Amino acid sequence: MDNLDDFKAIWHAADTKTLPSSEEMLKLISNFRGQKLRNKWLVIISSLILCVLFIAVLCIFSFRLWTTYIGGSLMALASLWLAINNFRSIKRFRQLDDSNNLEFIAFLEQTRKNQVYYYTRTMVYVLAGYSAGYMFYIYELIYKYPTWFTVVYSTFGIYVAVMWFVVRPRAFRRDAARLNAIQQRHEKLLNQFE
Amino acid sequence: MQTFDEIYRRYSPQIYRVCLGYTNDPEHAKDLLQDTFIAVWQGLPSFRQQSQVSTWIFRIATNRCLRAMEVAKRMPSEELPFNLAEPRVDSKEEKLRFLYQCIAELNETDRIIISLELEGLAQAEIASVVGLSSGNIRVKIHRIKEKLTQKFKAHGQFR
Repeated sequence: MDNLDDFKAIWHAADTKTLPSSEEMLKLISNFRGQKLRNKWLVIISSLILCVLFIAVLCIFSFRLWTTYIGGSLMALASLWLAINNFRSIKRFRQLDDSNNLEFIAFLEQTRKNQVYYYTRTMVYVLAGYSAGYMFYIYELIYKYPTWFTVVYSTFGIYVAVMWFVVRPRAFRRDAARLNAIQQRHEKLLNQFE
Repeated sequence: MQTFDEIYRRYSPQIYRVCLGYTNDPEHAKDLLQDTFIAVWQGLPSFRQQSQVSTWIFRIATNRCLRAMEVAKRMPSEELPFNLAEPRVDSKEEKLRFLYQCIAELNETDRIIISLELEGLAQAEIASVVGLSSGNIRVKIHRIKEKLTQKFKAHGQFR
């Protein structure tokens, strides 16, 4: 008996009797399936509903100012952009399951780069689209009422400024640390294949 | 084409042992087993049989192991107290625990390679799961086996 056979004998002594049966596993699967991608699907569905809603409002109601049409279109486009980006991300994960470990780590690294792109570009476009769109969209509603005009625009301006200069950088800093740690880990894993 | 039930019955003990070898944590290994079979269940209708079912399942499981480390709260320790004087391991359970400890000290890909080797996969299949050449796998297995043997000898095994 050589050492490898000894290791195999020890290895196979692991207790696997406590594993769930296939019926129990199917029950677990039906409870948990899709849970991981649920948030992404929620974003996609809500964005698409918003997009359709904006377009429907623009088509059904007649507005006098072109700013309303520009605003509605910008918000619809931002919603559509968000839905497309999240859908692409889901599609990538679905195509993944027959990859070897090396391809998988390369995929994870690409996912990390996509996440960085999502934070630095996609979110900027979406936020800019919604902000500009909203400002154009409500103009027709309030431009005749100076008090409302001032209150609505200054409140919205403060909200956008807080989101843009406080919340977003803070979230990005927090995620950047996580993403950097992931990058280091991927590099370490890739080195093991050399 | 095998059914999910047949696949689960045949591969779940193997997948569990591989995940246990990687994590050295039975609860975490069970989570990974469940995660693997969720992916198998979802992917089975579209599985095109370009590779063997076993290769496909072991790829899913080992990829889940590699990824789980990014999100796991319970990280397997790579720095176990091997230099401490430990009692000699004689019972089956103690030997098994010691083997898992030794494997946990290896780097991630080595853990996967030796787990698949101990599971009895052919080296060509291990190469296909990991993404290295068969020659490379053969060399790595030899080195890992040497490392494990040294650890076991240092603890009074393989006299």
